[in-house]
Amino acid sequence: MTDALLQMNGIVKDFPGVRALGGVDLDVRAGEVHCLLGQNGAGKSTLIKVLSGFHQPDDGTLVWDGAEASFSTPAKAIEHGVTTIYQELDLVPDLDVTENVFLGHEVSRGGFSQRGRAREMVRALLKRLGHEEISPTRIVGDLSPANQQIVSMARALSHDTRLLVLDEPSAVLDQQEVDNLFRVIRGLTAEGVAVIYISHRLEEIRQIGDRITVLKDGRTVGTGLAVADTPTVDLIKLMTGRSIEYVFPPRPETAREHDEPVLEVRDLGLAGVFTGVDLTVHAGEIVGLAGLVGAGRSEIIETVYGGRRATSGTVTVDGKRLRRGSVTSAVHAGVGLAPEERKSQGLLLDEAVYRNITMSSMARFSRFGFLDRAEERRRAAELTASLDVRPDGVTRAVRTLSGGNQQKVVLARWLLRDCRVLLLDEPTRGVDVGARSEIYQLVRSLADRGVAVVVVSSEIDEVLGLADRVLVVREGEVVHESAATDLDEARVLDLVMEGKVPA
Amino acid sequence: MSQDSVRVERAALETTREPNKGLALLRTSMGRNLGLVIALLLLCLVGVITAGDRFASTANTLTILKLAATIGVVSIGMTFVIIGGGIDLSVGAIVALSSVWCTTVATQTMANDTHWLVMVFVALAVGAGCGLVNGLLISYGRIVPFIMTLAMLASARGLAQIISDRKTQIVDVEGFADFFNREIVGIPMQVWIFVLVSVVGWILLNRTTFGRRTVAVGGNTEAARLAGIPVKRQTVYLYVLVGVCCGIAALMLVARTTTGSATHGNLYELDAIAAVVIGGTLLSGGRGTIVGTVLGVLIFTTLNNVFILNNRSISEQELLKGVIIVAAVLLQQRLASRNSNA
Amino acid sequence: MKSLRPIQKKLATGLVAGLAAIALTACTGNSSDDDKADLGGGTSQAASGSNDDAGDKVVIGFSAPAADHGWMGSITQSAKDVAAQYDDVELRVAEGTNDVNLQISQVETFINDKVDAIVLLPFDGAAMTPVALEAMKAGIPVINVDREFDDPNAARVTVLGDNYGMGVSAGKYICDNLNGKTDAVVAEIAGIDSLPLTQDRSQGFKDALAECDQNVDNRVAAEFTVESGEEQAANLLQAAPHIDFLWNHDDDQGVGVMAAIQNAGRDEFTMIGGAGSKNAMELIKSGDSVLKATVIYPSTQAADGIKLARLLVQGKSMSDLVEVEVPRTVQLYAPVVTADNVDQFIDTAFQS
Repeated sequence: MTDALLQMNGIVKDFPGVRALGGVDLDVRAGEVHCLLGQNGAGKSTLIKVLSGFHQPDDGTLVWDGAEASFSTPAKAIEHGVTTIYQELDLVPDLDVTENVFLGHEVSRGGFSQRGRAREMVRALLKRLGHEEISPTRIVGDLSPANQQIVSMARALSHDTRLLVLDEPSAVLDQQEVDNLFRVIRGLTAEGVAVIYISHRLEEIRQIGDRITVLKDGRTVGTGLAVADTPTVDLIKLMTGRSIEYVFPPRPETAREHDEPVLEVRDLGLAGVFTGVDLTVHAGEIVGLAGLVGAGRSEIIETVYGGRRATSGTVTVDGKRLRRGSVTSAVHAGVGLAPEERKSQGLLLDEAVYRNITMSSMARFSRFGFLDRAEERRRAAELTASLDVRPDGVTRAVRTLSGGNQQKVVLARWLLRDCRVLLLDEPTRGVDVGARSEIYQLVRSLADRGVAVVVVSSEIDEVLGLADRVLVVREGEVVHESAATDLDEARVLDLVMEGKVPA
Repeated sequence: MSQDSVRVERAALETTREPNKGLALLRTSMGRNLGLVIALLLLCLVGVITAGDRFASTANTLTILKLAATIGVVSIGMTFVIIGGGIDLSVGAIVALSSVWCTTVATQTMANDTHWLVMVFVALAVGAGCGLVNGLLISYGRIVPFIMTLAMLASARGLAQIISDRKTQIVDVEGFADFFNREIVGIPMQVWIFVLVSVVGWILLNRTTFGRRTVAVGGNTEAARLAGIPVKRQTVYLYVLVGVCCGIAALMLVARTTTGSATHGNLYELDAIAAVVIGGTLLSGGRGTIVGTVLGVLIFTTLNNVFILNNRSISEQELLKGVIIVAAVLLQQRLASRNSNA
Repeated sequence: MKSLRPIQKKLATGLVAGLAAIALTACTGNSSDDDKADLGGGTSQAASGSNDDAGDKVVIGFSAPAADHGWMGSITQSAKDVAAQYDDVELRVAEGTNDVNLQISQVETFINDKVDAIVLLPFDGAAMTPVALEAMKAGIPVINVDREFDDPNAARVTVLGDNYGMGVSAGKYICDNLNGKTDAVVAEIAGIDSLPLTQDRSQGFKDALAECDQNVDNRVAAEFTVESGEEQAANLLQAAPHIDFLWNHDDDQGVGVMAAIQNAGRDEFTMIGGAGSKNAMELIKSGDSVLKATVIYPSTQAADGIKLARLLVQGKSMSDLVEVEVPRTVQLYAPVVTADNVDQFIDTAFQS
């Protein structure tokens, strides 16, 4: 361990009411890709924040380059050569690429900023990252999420990085971009830069990782495991305590296509985003929308829901046409949406769990406008119990739950309404393996009860495993529709990437 | 490890209590209000120390409450608007316009012995009307609340000046003054009105769907929208609500001064916002209490009173007011940020 | 992008809090006079047997609007100065607010305190009438200064300037200086229009002008403050490309008016001021501006009010009058000051 660049021993971090890290050990060598695995709530984010100077550990030591160190501020961490790229990128959308890359350490001489030189440096960085097509003067807010991430990486590289931390970088990337990312990572490690790579995707870890550390419930349960030598089943056992992999619940024997369609979408279009979308979902069906990030799938279901105002086409539920751009119209007709960003689009984080659950059904609990809170709490508790939301207090703030449990709260909201149609946008993003299976079970049982379900997911095997029928979306158009059993991952990728013009 | 032991371990994690119980208590809304009560008591203590019986008398308490009543009613309305994520800079101007309009009606139509309730109706209608204009242009016209209510501030006062020809309008309508200046069990009607508005406000915010929707809209507008809450409609309601409160305040002011004037309601918006903010309501929306606002109003008016009793100048007092606001907000932020790190 | 929201929230909160703090603390200060005006009298200089002889202790409550212009500041300061000259007077000052609600509260506190007398310059006379009536009912005599209540029972003594007379004096000055012009362009910059005293002044002005067949061609209203004076004067100068005479009601706002005149480079007219500030008199004395005269509106009214309050409570009367009781109304004279007699008045003039 003498050539360890970073050594963290027994790191403890407490927050009010919770011990996020209860003694974490991690050591990272120069030039390696060290993967950090663990369920949501295991402490990965907190550990990274400690490493990058956002939080101060309550106990434990941090050894950098052989000497004990303390990263008391993020600036200190950056000074030592630790840069972090978070899932939620901290870029300024109104500034351009160059300004963002050099945010905080502008290129200047004698107080005057040297824009030309800065732009050249940015061009070089972007080239190194394989994205020379991004112009240094583009406004960052106009870029796609994937490209924004590239800008973030350029910023990281503009410091003298010795340890690069990537938090779920592939969440917003398509396959080609992921390959590119790996190429960049390999280039960095060849130069001796260490990389900490956090991801849920075991296949990626296999591809890029050297060693693995597994966290569970704030502790290190396995460290220094060589990627090549550790079977997946062992990793999952370490992470979850069970040896279950993604299990998709069985599909019903009889296809329910001869029932009346519940949701009918005809020729739906949103100018500049997608056109000519036809979609029919029968009661008890699960329809999946597969495609690359940015293909427009989220926009499609948002438009169906009335969250965006369609510029053409119609949406009909149970024969009744919905008003364009009116969420209340959809909700009244029995449609529910679990949005892509559950925190910013779906939940009131500081409010109690039960209030988040009853948010869409307040009329049911009120008489003359007065709410029966006891009844609200009772019904909410019933739902959280049946969905196995942990911890199970309904009066706690939703913020205190992990990602998977928060997702369950969102689903509970629509279950309360006995929806006819349920639109799920990335329902398992950021959700740990254990909770995922539960969500799959839930979705299937909902369908069995007669709900028409539409699922959008960026994980192709998730769509194929969960849905009955799959629509493949490419650049705002539906290019293929068939039963899920008629497709496999390769075929879908093929459909999705055919004729794709490079960005 | 089995599922059960995972659960046990989780439960065990949950029961790790926060080391500093006091601080935890302070962070709840009850705790924040408790802090305000303590601040108020301290202020009273200063009053007793510096002015003895003059401060601690019933007459003085009533003086404080009477002063608090008018701005208090406006502040309750403002609380709703701010919790809902907006702001209203025009409240003072709406009070002025309401006072002018209803006194104009009184001097013109009252000649034929119309009931004083007409004045009441007019004042409330004008308040609601201004609020409606604010609300519609903010919700559907998509004008930022700060700008819209700033525009309303100027126009309402301008309109008031035009209607009154910049003169003070004196009224002497039978029944009006009697009603508003009456005392019930020794407490002036104006104070009772403040109490009533506060109680209704509390019930509205904490026990009804209206209140719940307000919190949702202010806390996370997008999530509220996607959950099916009619955000635009709710926003309009909020501005109408504060407008009605301004109408009520105008009536109280007219009764207290027997006049309607375009100069009434001077800087009420700042006083109301200040009271709401130190009462613990977040300017960014989504969180706040009526109790906090009431305590905020009482703190400022008691401060006023202590200064008057001690012959201190208004200027010193205004300076202290500013310091208190900044201190309260900083304290709020510290407590809030600890909360969100959990 | 999402992680900006907490920072944005903090900035928004801090910014508005800061703005609120700044706005609230932007109360214009009271420019204090370094040398106390010699207001004459006082218990120390009392000739034996005169009214100034020390008597029973008198507690007087005094309230005036915010001193956002020199005249108002002088009102408050001279009241304080006069009270200090008497050992038997304890003055409680509730200073400076333009908020009617608050001023009412101040007077209510005086009533609670059972002061011996209240000297009140109300921000708005009509609005403060109810609370003045309350004080009178509670047995506390009220001395109304400058801005009249609208009920005679609301005050025991009213000390006024001669507002109508001011207007008349200004109008007469113009008539006397027409030099044969048949239709002079006359402009007027009034003070706070909602106050009856402003209306009185304008009326007096109008009436006096009518006597020599003139009328007011352009009129604007400011708010006695320098800022508003500058604004309104600038508007007026734009609206009237040629002016012969300009009457500005108040010399405090006149500072702003003069600034606007200089900025516009206009000097074809004669200007008359009002109230009688020191710098107005200095300008008149020097003779090299458009300001040629001003009409005094005494800023010692409150000081007189304090003196009268003391007499009232101590049961004395005004010594030079035959009548035993203190008069109901004291209306002070409004002399016209020109370069000829400016030296008489310049020492007692107030600072703007």
